[in-house]
Parts: sequence; C-alpha cells; structure tokens
Amino acid sequence: MGIFTMPGTVLFAQYKSDSGRVLQKVTVTGERKQNPFAAIVPVQVLNREALLQINAENIADAARYFSGVLIKDYGGVGGLKTISVRSLGGLNTGLVYDGITIADAQTGQVDLSKFSATFVQTLELDQTNPQQIPLPARIYSSASILSFTSNSFNTTNFTQKKWLAGMNTGSFGLWQPYAGLYLPVSKNMVVSANVQATWAKGDYPYQIENGMFSQKAYRSNSDIQAFQGEVNTLNRFADSSTLQIKVWGYSSERGLPGSIIFFNDISVQRLQDKNFFIQSRYLKKFNTNTSLLVSVKYSTLYTKYTDPNFLNNAGGLDDRYSQNEIYGSIALSHRMGKYFSFSLASDIASTHLSANIKAFPNPTRTSLWNSFVIEFTKSHWQLNASILNTDINDKTETGTAAANKNKFTAAFAIGYKPKPESPFLFRFFYKDIFRMPTFNDLYYTYNVNINPKLLPEYSTQYDAGFTYSKNFKSALSQFSISVDGYYNGIKDKIIAVPSQNLFIWTMKNIGKVQINGIDINGQANGKFSPVVRWSARIAYTWQQALDVSDPSSTIYKNEIPYTPSHSGSALAAVYYKTWSAGYSILFSGERYALGENDPTNLLPGWDEQDAFVSCQLPFKYFQTIIRGEVDNIFNQQYDVVHYYPMPGRSYKLSITINSL
Amino acid sequence: MKKNKLYFPVVIMLAFFFSCSKDNTPAPPPVPPKVTTGVFVLNQGSYGANNTMLSYYDFTSATQTTDFFKKANGFGLGDTGSDFIIYGGKMYIVMNVSGYVAVANSITAKFIDTISFKNAGVNRGPENVVAAEGEVFVSSTDGTVAVIDTSSLAITKFIKVGSNPAQMVVAGDNLYVSNTGGFSAVFDSTVSVIPLNSLTESGKITVGMNPGSISTDNTGNIYVACTGNYGATAPSLVKVNINTNQVTKSVDSAFGTIRYYNSVLLTTGGYLGAANVGIFNPDNLVAVRPSFVTDETAIENPYGLDVDPATGDVYVGDAKDYVSSGEVFCFDKTGKKKFSFSVSPGISPIKTVLVQQ
Repeated sequence: MGIFTMPGTVLFAQYKSDSGRVLQKVTVTGERKQNPFAAIVPVQVLNREALLQINAENIADAARYFSGVLIKDYGGVGGLKTISVRSLGGLNTGLVYDGITIADAQTGQVDLSKFSATFVQTLELDQTNPQQIPLPARIYSSASILSFTSNSFNTTNFTQKKWLAGMNTGSFGLWQPYAGLYLPVSKNMVVSANVQATWAKGDYPYQIENGMFSQKAYRSNSDIQAFQGEVNTLNRFADSSTLQIKVWGYSSERGLPGSIIFFNDISVQRLQDKNFFIQSRYLKKFNTNTSLLVSVKYSTLYTKYTDPNFLNNAGGLDDRYSQNEIYGSIALSHRMGKYFSFSLASDIASTHLSANIKAFPNPTRTSLWNSFVIEFTKSHWQLNASILNTDINDKTETGTAAANKNKFTAAFAIGYKPKPESPFLFRFFYKDIFRMPTFNDLYYTYNVNINPKLLPEYSTQYDAGFTYSKNFKSALSQFSISVDGYYNGIKDKIIAVPSQNLFIWTMKNIGKVQINGIDINGQANGKFSPVVRWSARIAYTWQQALDVSDPSSTIYKNEIPYTPSHSGSALAAVYYKTWSAGYSILFSGERYALGENDPTNLLPGWDEQDAFVSCQLPFKYFQTIIRGEVDNIFNQQYDVVHYYPMPGRSYKLSITINSL
Repeated sequence: MKKNKLYFPVVIMLAFFFSCSKDNTPAPPPVPPKVTTGVFVLNQGSYGANNTMLSYYDFTSATQTTDFFKKANGFGLGDTGSDFIIYGGKMYIVMNVSGYVAVANSITAKFIDTISFKNAGVNRGPENVVAAEGEVFVSSTDGTVAVIDTSSLAITKFIKVGSNPAQMVVAGDNLYVSNTGGFSAVFDSTVSVIPLNSLTESGKITVGMNPGSISTDNTGNIYVACTGNYGATAPSLVKVNINTNQVTKSVDSAFGTIRYYNSVLLTTGGYLGAANVGIFNPDNLVAVRPSFVTDETAIENPYGLDVDPATGDVYVGDAKDYVSSGEVFCFDKTGKKKFSFSVSPGISPIKTVLVQQ
C-alpha cells in the first residue's frame, strides 16, 4: 500500500489547536463537529492524522481500513480499485468529493485509484444517508456513501498563507512529487491550488504456482503515469454565506497487466483517462433556522482503451468513450419549533456518453431526484426519516432505449440515549434504494447481447447496534466502540451471464443475495506522559453473503465470491515530540474466488502489516518532515482478486517541506 | 494506565489469528484412478480463473474423477480449454486463452509436451481441433489452421484462412473451416475449403453470417450453424453440397452446436435458440420431433454435444449457468437417458470423448 506521504503534517498539526472552529465549516458529510461514534447511523471517519499514518497512495487504500468494506484491488499503483460496502456490490456506493457526487454512468463505479489522498482532509463512509441537512437529493440515491473532503475549504485558510511541497519515492519505480499553496487574497477570499504527479513501474515480483511450471515472475505492463491538480476558491460574504468553487483535473496513462494466465503472460492493453470537472457550492443561512444550499457541476470523462493484440480485422482495439454531465441541485432546510427540522432538495443531471464503436447508441440519461427529509430530536431520542423520488429517462440515437423509471424509496433512522450524558447510544436504521442499470449494462454492444429491458437492482438494509463513547482523565483519554449487526437483501441483481459461449455475454436481473453481518469499530487515544501521545483504531467485520438466486442451482446458499467471513484492520501510532511511529494490520480470512464454494475455489486468508517512522526537522523559514515506511513487512504473497497478485514487501521514503 | 493496555493485546491476537489461518497449503493431488472404459470430459472453466479441468467418468464403477489431468501431472491445464481429441494414442487439449495445446497419453493423461500457439509472444487463440490422415489440425482466432505432425509434435505449417475461424470438419478430401469474423465489427460469412493434399486454402464458400459449428453427413454435404449478428441478420442453418460448393438449403434457426449422426442432425440451441437438444431431418432441416430427449430428463443449458460413433450414444454437457458445476448426460440413440454424472467442480463441460483400454 501506501505511496503518498504525509503532505503537510505540520500544516495540519497547526489546525489542531483551533480544530473546534475548523470543524464548524460545512462540507457535506465533511469535517464533522460530531464524534462519529455519537451518530445514530454507522459512520466511519479517517481524519487527517489517521490518513497520514496510513499514508495511502489513494483513497481506496485508506478505505481498506473501514469495517464492512471490500476494496477490489487489482494490484499495484495503477491497479483498478473499487469499493463494495457490506457486500452490496461495487455499484451501490456513491462517491462524493467536497459535497458533490462524482459519477460514472458508463460503468456505474468510479476507479478510486484516481483520487490521491495527499490533500484529503477527511475520508468518511456513511452506511446510509448522512444525517445532516441540507444535502443534495442525489446523495440519498446510493446505498452507502464514501465521501472525502479536501483541505481547501477550511476557514482557517482565511488567516494565513501556507504552502507545502514534497516527494515520495519507493519500491517498484515510484516517484511522486506534489505541491500545494493556500493563499488568502483578501480577508474573505482564499485561493488554493495543488498538483501531484505519479510515476510507477509496478514491476513487482510474484510467484506463479502451477506444479512443474511454477516460476517467479515480475508484473509487466503494470506501469502508470498520472497527473492531477485542482484550483479552489472560497469566498465568504457579509451575510455569512459562503461560495466554493473547485476545478479538478486528472490525466493518466497506464498498463492493464491483466490476470495471471498460465502459459500466457503477455499483456499489452493500455488505458488512458482524462477527467475534468468544475463544481460550485453556495451555502446561505437566512437565519438560525433556514439554510439554502445550491450546487452545480459540469464534468467530463474520457477513456481510451487499446489492445494492439486483439485479433480483429482492424489490427487491434482502440475504443474511446467520452462522457459528460451537467448537474444542479437546490436544497433547503428549515427548523420548525423546538424538535422538528425538515429539508427539501431537488436535483437534475443530464449525462451523455458517446463512443467510437460501431452502432454505439450514444445514450443520454436525464435524472431527477427529489428528496424530503424530516428530523426529530428530543432529549433521549433522535429520528430521521427520508423519502426519495428518482426519475430516470434514457434516450438513444439508435436502437432501443431503456424505459422510463420512476421510483420512491425511503430511509429511516432512530437513535436513543438512555440518559443525555450516557456513554451509550442505541441505534437502528432501515434503507431501501436501487441502482440503475449502467450504460454498459444497457448499451454496450461488443460481445454482449443488449438487454434494454434490464430492471434496477434493489437493495434493502437493516441495521441495529450501539455505540459507547467515553472520555477519561488517564493515559486513556478517549475510548469509543460501536457494534452493529445488519441484514441486507439484494434482488434483481444485475449479473453478466455468458450466453452463447464464454465470450458472448448478456446482462440479466437474476441475482438475489442475502447478507448478514456484524461490524465492530473501536477507537482510542490518550497520553502516556505529557510528551507521549498515542492513538489506535480497530475495525472488524463478520459477514455471510449468500447467493439465493435459484434454489435449484448447485450454488444456492453458497457464499458469493470475495466475501471473507472475517476481515478487518488495526492501526496504532505513538507520537513523541517531533517523532511519530505507527504500525498497521489489514487482514482477510478465506474466501471463495468463484460462486461455487468448492475447496478448489477457496483463496487463502492473508494479512498485510505496515510500519512507519517519521520525524519533523524545524528550520528557520520552513519545516521538513522525513518519513520512512515498510509496507507488507512479512512479504506476504496474496491476491485480493484471484490471479491479480498484490505487491510483496516494499519501501517508501517521503520528504515534505512546508511553511511554518 | 490499565485500560489502554487492553487494546494492544487485541491487535496482537488478531495478527496471531490470521497468521494461523493462512497455513492452508492444499494437499498434494491424489493419484488418479486407472483408466479402463469410460469418457473424458473437457470442462472449459471460467475465463481468467485457470480452471480448465479434465474429468474422467468410469463406466464400470460409475464414478467421476475431476481434474484428472492435474492429478496425473501435478499441474493445471490453465485457462479456457476449448476442444480436445484423442488421436493416435495421444490426447490433444486445446487451451484457448492459455495459448497452447497440451499433448498427453490418451489413456493415462500423462503429460507429453506443450505446443505453443504464440506468434512473437502473442496468443493466436487456438480454438478447435480435428485429425485426418496422420495429422492434427488446430484452428486459431488469428486466422490460421496449424498442421501438427503427430510424431514430432511440431507445427509444420500454418494455413491462412478467413478471420477468426471457429470450427472444422473433414469431409471428402477437404478440411472445411468456418470463419466467424466474430472479433470485428462486421462478421465473416464464409467457410474455407482446404484440400488435404495441398494443405492450402483453395477457396471460400459463402454460407450465412457468423458461421460457427460445422458437421458432415459423409455423403457429400456439410451443415453449418450460423449465428447472425445478434441483430437484424437472423441466425441460420445452412446445408452445402461439397461437390458443387453450393448452398442447397438454408433455414432461419438458431443453434450452438450441431452434430450429424446416422441420418439425423442433433443440435443445441445456444443462446439465441431454445435451451434443449434438437433433432432435425438433414434433408429438409425440419425438426423430427420437438426434442431429441424422449424421457423426462431436464437439461438446463446444453453446451457440449458429442456422439459416440460406435453406439450412437449422445453425450450432452450441461453448462448450467456457466459459473456452477456442470453435468454430463448420456442418452441412447432413441433419446432415453442412460446415466448422468456431475463434473463438480468442473465448469462448462464442452467436449466428451470415449476412452477404451
């Protein structure tokens, strides 16, 4: 894991002293004032300090530390990484950056390896709807939400000019320079910008195990070069309203090394991504009771996939996809009387995809989301109920477009504290939602029998649990734990089924899955002495996800692929003056690579253990942080996805300098 | 001080727990049973999962042994086996995605050699295999038919044919190869003709769009199942007179695999057709009866279809949903089930070949 290093440890350390003020800032599900363990729905947060410890190369690598999460990782810096939460599947998690959804209507899931963690302030996983208002209605349209916030919209940026620059380098040809600047141009306006480049060869060794044909090999065609950057402005006005503008760009070119195929190790497929968006949020509080949030966004996604060895008459594949989306949202919240608040939001998006593929129907999707949320808070009780209407219309230039879909879905959450000051909180939530078939599901033509009759895939979540959170006046200053049991159901799950033979596929709504699980999260920190601080967190998941699609099938009630019964993570760090050191473990039990729970399909469990040491060196005008890191210390050879080997032991050295 | 110590033992326990659970090195494969009389079944596996397996079903003991090849040799075949034959005391297993042909003893399955199908490192995509006159022919997606010398096991020649050839049949003095063109935007519609005495393509016969499975009645006709383009061009079944190279009959019907035997044409529906085993009159290409199966046997997804030429027994490989274990059914020539067996954990049984010692 981890390639990026601690940009601006000191920069952000400075925030600690006035974190109370920082935390009041709005971002959606952003820097929260509230302890996540005090929320009436399961929320997991990695704050800046935890992110620095994990030192993830991208947000996917950090999200691996959440409970209930499977990051499907195809290995290496350039390997695709997608998230599945509580076995609901990769297309049921929404991704939100600085308050606005990042979507990909073509694949339905965004490759998380595109998002660097270097300039991220918080990474948060909301198991159901985030419990704050107002929010855009679209945020309610996913089963769970992975959101992250940049450090660009902190109000502390108004007060002081800051900068940082750094470089990570490590095993397998990793070079990663970055720089950021936060410039208050007036008392009420901040401009910030950051850039990062990544080069990695990804040529790590792995072992092919196949009897007399076993051999040591090196991952090839696994290189990546990526550039990303963003410019942000934050304005606050006399009426205390705020305006955020973010321009973000990403460009990468990488090899797709493919799965390990016995007797055939050549892979030449390449993938090029060019992504861009501009988004803006305006928040106005009319008075203490009424707030308005306006969000707009325009985004483009360009993808080019090439396979020069593809055996067609054109002498190779060169597929290009271009997607763009215009999005807008108005959300209003109002507090009525002592106990009630409500919120109304209305969103619209228009998404268009075109491709250079013959007979591609170039679909356009118009989506409307309308949400109504009501909150009730009174002494021991907190309630939150919401209803969402989704209306989706597809149009195609040729061929049949999917029929209009109009659905109502609902969510409900309740929290109870035995006493206002009690460390205990008991909670329950319910949510039902669906995901639309993606453009690929509906309109992808190559080797797929088009099925515009596909229905949405429904998921239902039930969760009951409790949290315990307490502060102490000892070496343990704060301790929190949450335990949640859950039951999820998926019906009409969209599955690609080989039809005529293994190479011709069709999409069908045939899947049904039953998921039971328990998530446990714990977090603690304290001080051994006035100069020795420590922190630790743990996440554990027990899960059972059974395929209940077809009682006559031999895989009926078998575990679905890639759902270990046991998985989790643990992190611990110690801070002594200018020094810090930490240790982390990720683990996964055995799981099946295929739908049939036969011993031949069983993948062994694995664990990855990482350690780091970091030290700050103050100079007159700036500060330097040097960090050394060993990832996968025990050089464990494992696959997350079968036949996509993960890197073994690797080393990383990082240097950051920043303004005092 | 006491409380915070609680946490670290938990971390250590977890680490211990997982270092314990990972020592699950699989047991060495048991010795395979002795092959007497039965069938070998090639199970294609799942793409990218390196799980192509050979099953052996023994008639006497009525037991199935899965992954027979690995048990005999200690290594797996690799990815996506697409065809195999037994010829001249050897078995030839065509590994499409792994890009080679495995050659093994026809009785013991003991490994003899690999024949690589890489062209400057790039997989040619070997697909189908037939044998005739002391030579083995393998068609590949890259538009070639390889000629393999059965004693040296070397490829002596690549015969250029149409694009993305699929299946082959020997009829009369010629080898016929269906050219699908399935990897390109516009599909092919031809069958290549290769005289066995020249081993060079002498011409092409236009059949229907996207020709796949091909069979012969050995009395001057070949039959070709054409899949069409999944859109406006419908699938068809085409009969060709090989003396005139003319299409003599064509009907709109969707088939996956076709096999001629003893004056009937047996079919599987493939994706576009009905999921059953059909029986057709080769003269007019009209169904003899709704289903070849005449008893209550239900087959979910007929995939492999093979006829034992000696007895007329019909073997149907049921691919189910292509992700769970397959099953093989044996019917007598009247369509009554004789026996069936699971090939678990083998997936997608594509080919059944009789073995006799």
